[in-house]
Amino acid sequence: MTSRFVRDAPIDARAAPVAAIAWPWRGRRARFATPATSALSLLLLALCAFVCVRFVDWAIVRAHWLGQSSAACPGDDGACWAFVIARWKPWLVGNYPVGQMWRAWTCFATFALFWIWVVRRPPAGRPGPVLVGFVLLPIAFLILLVGGGPLPLVAPTQIGGLLLTLVVTLATFATALPIGLAIALGRRSQWPLVRALCAMFVEGMRAVPLLAVLFIAATLLPLFLPRGIDVDLFTRAVIAFALFNAAMAAEVFRGGLQAVGRGQIEAATTVGLSHFATLRLIVLPQAIRAAVPALVNIMIAVIKETTLLSVIGVNDLLGAVEIGAKSPDWVGESNILTSGYVFLALAYLAVCYGLSRYSRRLELSS
Amino acid sequence: MAKSMAKVASKRTGGDVPIVRMRAINKWYGDYHALRDIDVVVDTGERIVVCGPSGSGKSTLVRTINLLEPFEQGRLHVCGIDVAADAITRAARLAVNRCVGMVFQQFNLFPHMSVLANLTVGPVFGRGMRRAEAHDLAMHYLARVGLTDHANKRPAELSGGQQQRVAIARALCTRPQLVLFDEPTAALDPEMVNEVLQTMESLAADGMTMIVVTHEMGFARRVADRAVFMDQGQIIEIARPDDFFERPQSRRLASFLGRILTH
Repeated sequence: MTSRFVRDAPIDARAAPVAAIAWPWRGRRARFATPATSALSLLLLALCAFVCVRFVDWAIVRAHWLGQSSAACPGDDGACWAFVIARWKPWLVGNYPVGQMWRAWTCFATFALFWIWVVRRPPAGRPGPVLVGFVLLPIAFLILLVGGGPLPLVAPTQIGGLLLTLVVTLATFATALPIGLAIALGRRSQWPLVRALCAMFVEGMRAVPLLAVLFIAATLLPLFLPRGIDVDLFTRAVIAFALFNAAMAAEVFRGGLQAVGRGQIEAATTVGLSHFATLRLIVLPQAIRAAVPALVNIMIAVIKETTLLSVIGVNDLLGAVEIGAKSPDWVGESNILTSGYVFLALAYLAVCYGLSRYSRRLELSS
Repeated sequence: MAKSMAKVASKRTGGDVPIVRMRAINKWYGDYHALRDIDVVVDTGERIVVCGPSGSGKSTLVRTINLLEPFEQGRLHVCGIDVAADAITRAARLAVNRCVGMVFQQFNLFPHMSVLANLTVGPVFGRGMRRAEAHDLAMHYLARVGLTDHANKRPAELSGGQQQRVAIARALCTRPQLVLFDEPTAALDPEMVNEVLQTMESLAADGMTMIVVTHEMGFARRVADRAVFMDQGQIIEIARPDDFFERPQSRRLASFLGRILTH
């Protein structure tokens, strides 16, 4: 063996070898390696097939699609989509006045356009405009939906169903994000009292179940307010949601702030930026960008938490199902309530799965 | 060639006006006595190189000069601003940093901004310079470090050496009277050390007052007016480079030089 080596011709780069086995068979070696794994694979496959067939049979083959009362869904053998279809208005908007429906449609359409714009933006783009949109939209929606001035007033408690979920989610986001950011910054304050208060708020909120916070807001809060000031149930629920999720958002922002290294702050100091300018120009843009995927996850949680509103008597999607199943036209068959719940689950699945895919994309791009 | 440039420029431009005066400065990290009775005077136009083993307090020393590190005892005088140990406030730090620039080991460029924005953010938002003026200033210093073509890139798209040159240009854009360098080449691949050292040498040739923490002994010999040796938070020896390297007076410096210059 010689100890000296000199390459005289460089090696050109070559393409990587392509995986030789196509998709349906690629897993064969993993799933059917031994008799035991083969048996398990077949068993699970059979179970999946059985569940799918039963569900399709219940949800499509034996389903009842049309009708205005429980007479349309005789027996318990198939899904009662007639219940869902006939009661589309409570599902979508609750008790919102029929003559004012254009206001609800405007909200849905505006949000759809906004969401299309958000999803089509490059994921690595500036998050600022999106967050501003999330703060401004619910304010605009509430003004439009509740009305006043030239628009006839509609009591907030008449908003229900999917519209309520949309408005409560956005309103929660719009209030919880700024409060959460303020609390996260408060925990880094130079004043020990501010730090302690912010930490206490976050730890307190995180240690109490949301349902308890909602009950406190619904029943206890009016007792503390001065006589004559009446805050309706809808507003109280939104306040409870906002405070609870502000604590969650504060923790997310705190993580984002910690992700900005000390060197960044030092560099900003040495180019002559003040404390406030450093925060605004150097720390926050990086911290918020780092926090956005986790903020989307909070949003998913908020959407699902809106179902808790039905417990304190706010007419959300879940409330719309239960009220509908108790109405004189639809009492009787148990498959009516089941169909409502299944539809509810599918609706939430569609919305939250979409959001979670979006959050994945943001995480991958950062 | 760089050597001859440094020679010409070592005729001091600013006279013997002190720009930094440290008086009996002491600093502790908890119970650890990190800086011990530091007394240094740096004149305007001087180039000081600080070296010493790791943990000797070199970085702490330069970071004290622009108040990134507070100190518990002593007095600091920088660019006409006098700061006592008990008067280190945000306002004092801001005032000092308006006249002192700094280049870090890890560059610390702002990753969410273009190279150009990295250079203009200080002048525009720190000292209220007009954007157009700050832009011209930034392009001037980018040309100076040879990176005009990279003005609109993000820092992550540049090599380590290029990033450090951007960091030097960023420090110059604040029009500092003094630039501190905290091991500017320690995080670079060997291939990229020279481009950064050359940039620093041309800065020295222009008469900029510089305090440089470095292990680059060749750079120290070529550029420094005085070299400072630190160990265990104390200044052990201050000397002109030829005395410093050829005739060290303290045994500690002699053994340090013996260990780093043999390989």
